[in-house]
Amino acid sequence: MSLKFAYYPGCASKEITRESSDTTLKVAPLLDIELKEMPKANCCGAGLLKDYDYKLHLAMNARIFAEAEGMGLDIMTICSTCLMVMSTANSELKNDEKLLAETNELLGEAGLTYKGTIDIKHFLWVVMKEVGAEKLKGLVKRPLKGIRLASFYGCHTLRPSSVLGFDDPLNPTSMEEITAALGAESVDYDGRTKCCGFQADLVTEEVALAMTAKRLLSAKDSGAHSVVTPCPFCHINLDSYQSKAERVAGRKIDIPVLHFTQALGIALGLSSKDMGLDRHMVPLQDLLDSI
Amino acid sequence: MEITVKVKRCNPQGNADCKPSWQSYDIKAEVGMSVLEVLLDVIAGVDPSLVCRRSCRSAICGSCAMKINGRPLLACDTQIIEEYEKAGRIELEPLDNHRVIKDLAVFQEPPWDEFDKIIPYLNEKDKDVAMTAEDEHAIDASQKCIMCGSCNSVCNALEMEKNYLGPAALAKAWRFVGDVREGKKEKRLDRLSQEHGIWDCVRCVHCTEYCPKDVAPLSAIERLRDKAMAYGIDDNHGAKHSTAMVDSIRRVGRLDEAAMTFKTLGLLRSIGMIPFGMKMEMHGKMPHPVVLPAIDGIDEVRKIMDKREEEKKKEELD
Repeated sequence: MSLKFAYYPGCASKEITRESSDTTLKVAPLLDIELKEMPKANCCGAGLLKDYDYKLHLAMNARIFAEAEGMGLDIMTICSTCLMVMSTANSELKNDEKLLAETNELLGEAGLTYKGTIDIKHFLWVVMKEVGAEKLKGLVKRPLKGIRLASFYGCHTLRPSSVLGFDDPLNPTSMEEITAALGAESVDYDGRTKCCGFQADLVTEEVALAMTAKRLLSAKDSGAHSVVTPCPFCHINLDSYQSKAERVAGRKIDIPVLHFTQALGIALGLSSKDMGLDRHMVPLQDLLDSI
Repeated sequence: MEITVKVKRCNPQGNADCKPSWQSYDIKAEVGMSVLEVLLDVIAGVDPSLVCRRSCRSAICGSCAMKINGRPLLACDTQIIEEYEKAGRIELEPLDNHRVIKDLAVFQEPPWDEFDKIIPYLNEKDKDVAMTAEDEHAIDASQKCIMCGSCNSVCNALEMEKNYLGPAALAKAWRFVGDVREGKKEKRLDRLSQEHGIWDCVRCVHCTEYCPKDVAPLSAIERLRDKAMAYGIDDNHGAKHSTAMVDSIRRVGRLDEAAMTFKTLGLLRSIGMIPFGMKMEMHGKMPHPVVLPAIDGIDEVRKIMDKREEEKKKEELD
């Protein structure tokens, strides 16, 4: 039986990290997952909207949920920040009738209503829980043998666990289980569940880059050949800003960073072009050659 | 039950560079014993040189917070057998982001000094204001803080920037800013919006995740930011960043990264970004604002935003 979701890649994965969404759209059918586009979906606000105005943040998120509800589908995203922002908003709306009514009053202005019936899932969860590591193993065409991957979870993939509740926020295992199913090894390292600094890039840049550098160095020093992350914002800092982080660290880091979707894509036999691997700022060729 | 308790020990007295080392204690735990009780037994009967901090032993003083199997917890509120059965080990360490006095005891001066900075008492208002249950609810969570330092110990921003006020003090700040009886909200928000205040938070959610009292410091920080911008205190990168996001959603319904960078950093610093932007362009990663089309139904977005702006105008700032 195929799985079906309303697909919300998130703004980053429509633009800067669109290679991750392109890969998802090619990987999903191989896993019997059908993805329906959400042409009306607005930005979740990435938390910045919540800083600006809590009620507007709820209304804008409810507008996204209303579209999925109209499609009769749960939402699947490949962005951890969208996951965290939408899931917390959804949980607050579902558990507070007054808040839902107030939000619907705002939505009513645009002729919309949200009843509170949908759920939000990350692609990582869908692969883990609904596809399953066993099935995934059977689909692997190009095992990632001999590759040591450093999973970088991203804060918003795991926390707050009271709402997300998919994996342990301190000792998560889902990424490593999938990595193993794809035939790669995993390394343990200090930065695995910590913050990449993305949200501070434009606010306190030096702090953000020092954080990025520290996480990357801890991955590199653990002997990993590549980092792999389920969060596009983490990818921006870890890959696109790696050269800036090197400047702050005062040393070369030079470690490629895969999107989680690309790790799946490589193992399932997609081509480099399909996955937009040339779009990465840190070259991946050596890594690919070694598989 | 026989359990080996491993303690990360260090004595910086007279040797500030001391390297921590692990010491094991084989103990006999009985059902109902907390980690703290076990530690006190070890100190009383086995090794009087071991140091930890404690006071109330009832999870209300916040004195005995430490890392138990990697997670900040109150030692008095953690059952040792349950924890051992869950994790298969008992490893105790001092809190991160705090200076160690000895072994498991840490200096609490930051964050306590930070509490002083946020002025932890109410300022009188011109007129008396009665507090409703709803008003109280808005600051309820932040009043539960026992100042144990757990949130600060896991804060990713504080890890990198020691001058940041930190989640503990900011949750306490919201307790006063969010109080309808407070008389100097604007002044407080102005101070909190300065360097190393509310805009240093990187939204890593660690504070809210690990707080043993469900204070949810991140929510407090988000509310402080919301209130600060409502008061028009927005001449800083953080507020500009948020406002740029709102403008972007109104215009195209989604994130317009190029416009956000420009509006947050201003003209001069944006020009400084050009060389790096060209590097990104080579990989097709440079955001192009001019070609970013609006989402379907952008009118809906604008109608909702207009309506909310109207509502906001009616909401009085107290």
